[in-house]
Amino acid sequence: MADTTGADTTAATSVRVVIVDDHSIFRSGLKADLDASIEVVGEAHDVESAVAAVTDAAPDVVLLDVHLPGVGVPAGTSGGAEVIRRAAASVPGTRFLALSVSDKAEDVVGVIRAGARGYITKGSSGADVSRAVHAVASGDAVFSPKLAGFVLDAFGAAVGETAAASDELDRLSAREQEVMRLIARGYAYKEVAAALFISTKTVESHVSAVLRKLQLSSRHELTAWANARRLL
Amino acid sequence: MSRPRACVATGVAAGLAAHLGWPVLVVRAAFVVASFAAGAGVLLYVWLWALTPWEAGEARPSRSAPVAWLLVSAAAVSLLAAAATSSLLALDPLAVDAVDGGSEALGSWLFAVFAGVGLAVASGAWATFIDRPEPERGPRHELTIRLVATVLLVVTAAALVLGPTAAWYPAPTFAAALAAVLGIGLVYAPTLVTAWRELTEERTKRIREEQRSEIAAHLHDSVLQTLALIQNRAGATTEVARIARAQERELRDWLFDGEAPADSDLGTDLRDFAAALEIDYPVTIDVVAVGSSSERASGEVAAAAREAMLNAARHAGGEVSVYVEATPDSVEVFVRDRGDGFDLVDVPSDRLGVRQSIIGRMRRAGGTGEVRPGAGGIGTEVRLRFPAERVGGAGPAGIIGTEGSRG
Repeated sequence: MADTTGADTTAATSVRVVIVDDHSIFRSGLKADLDASIEVVGEAHDVESAVAAVTDAAPDVVLLDVHLPGVGVPAGTSGGAEVIRRAAASVPGTRFLALSVSDKAEDVVGVIRAGARGYITKGSSGADVSRAVHAVASGDAVFSPKLAGFVLDAFGAAVGETAAASDELDRLSAREQEVMRLIARGYAYKEVAAALFISTKTVESHVSAVLRKLQLSSRHELTAWANARRLL
Repeated sequence: MSRPRACVATGVAAGLAAHLGWPVLVVRAAFVVASFAAGAGVLLYVWLWALTPWEAGEARPSRSAPVAWLLVSAAAVSLLAAAATSSLLALDPLAVDAVDGGSEALGSWLFAVFAGVGLAVASGAWATFIDRPEPERGPRHELTIRLVATVLLVVTAAALVLGPTAAWYPAPTFAAALAAVLGIGLVYAPTLVTAWRELTEERTKRIREEQRSEIAAHLHDSVLQTLALIQNRAGATTEVARIARAQERELRDWLFDGEAPADSDLGTDLRDFAAALEIDYPVTIDVVAVGSSSERASGEVAAAAREAMLNAARHAGGEVSVYVEATPDSVEVFVRDRGDGFDLVDVPSDRLGVRQSIIGRMRRAGGTGEVRPGAGGIGTEVRLRFPAERVGGAGPAGIIGTEGSRG
């Protein structure tokens, strides 16, 4: 899937992952499809077992289904977000990558605001998921064109809102907007870098900065738009 | 025969007059005259009213006569007449009895009371059921009518109970007073009926909505997951995956969009077009729309964008990205594929697709169109830009729309 603009699969080191999904068929299918460089060290099917598996295995990456059954998941939040909330503190080195069949922005933005480093759709091929896992494992954010489009919309980029200072949380800088636009147009990080004459590393740091804003910003559009328009 | 939608009271007389070719006045007079024959005219009128349809058309029927007011006035007159008769009865009850005119006077008195109560109830019903959808009569019309009818009936009931007839003719007076009290209830019954109906509708709607979200939640966890899995296992551009993707999209639209009407802005239109293309060609098209566009789906940008998407689907296949951004200054559309790419110079001049229907169309409409190799030399990217002041403007759409050849 070209819209998973992850880094290349050049990471030589093996990445340890835990797969969390309530459908065993999906888990086994994904397991069979992942690259050899990815080692599945645990599986879970609901919020409780996911928290246990993640704390036990302390993996590099958790592939996390957004919609996950579980006891005591507060209304208005997804099971996936709840897993991050409960487990993240005990495994500081673990990064979360959300997997979703959902197009609903409130689900995806919810899980990203809870701390996921990106999201990919469940229709993605094993190779794409593997690429995304490596990207997240090396600290990058995984942005799909749809997520980039949502970010541009939610941060008011289309109506010309631009951050004056780089540490402003509620708006994107001009450079971040350029990067997001190119990702929304289907460019991979490498292609974004070539188009803007900057290094891939710089692109990655811009994307991470945007992800941070997405997680920390209090712009009401982030939640309001997500609910109203299901842009993702 | 049909009743005209702009009528005096019900349109029966006018409709019948038009049907028979008589003047309306003659028809009205005939109704009045026939009414003296044991009410035949009234019965015929009501029968025709119930069975004759409105004439064809969309207009809301409007009535020039204030029927509710006429009814309530007639009720007042009838009840006043009853009061007058009752005072006659009370003056000399024994004498009336003696000449055996008692039953006759009593009969007309009772008739006047019941007619008055009936007319008052009818005015309330008319105001509620027939006048309500007519805003010209004002929001307080219904309330005022009902209030006047209520006052009439309350006064009647009080007069009956406290008046002189109660002593002389207790049974008929009691029946009349009961009728007046029941009448008050009936005046308000239409409101209760309407309120009850609205409540029931509301509840049905809520139940349906709840059911839908329950089904949505269930399908989300089962069918959508399965469809995603099929796409995953089958490879993105195989036929099976395409079918699964189309099904997923349809199901999702049905589940989550509910009864919201599909608006036809540019993004929505291109998304629909992408869905149609995915069924016909081995391609997956991601449409991302940013900003709210005032550009209509029928505009030139949409036509050129569709042409570009069709080209990408037909010649490149695979994965295609479409990005629509509407800013206050302009509308931009990017269509990017990852096919073999082509050079515009190599395209034979008899192939009008790209030149005419994308670049030419944009230029004629006042925007710009560009076809260039995609990033990193992979595939093709079509860029369309349209300044905002021309957005939604009336270009010579009729001519261009038919001329561009597809392909």
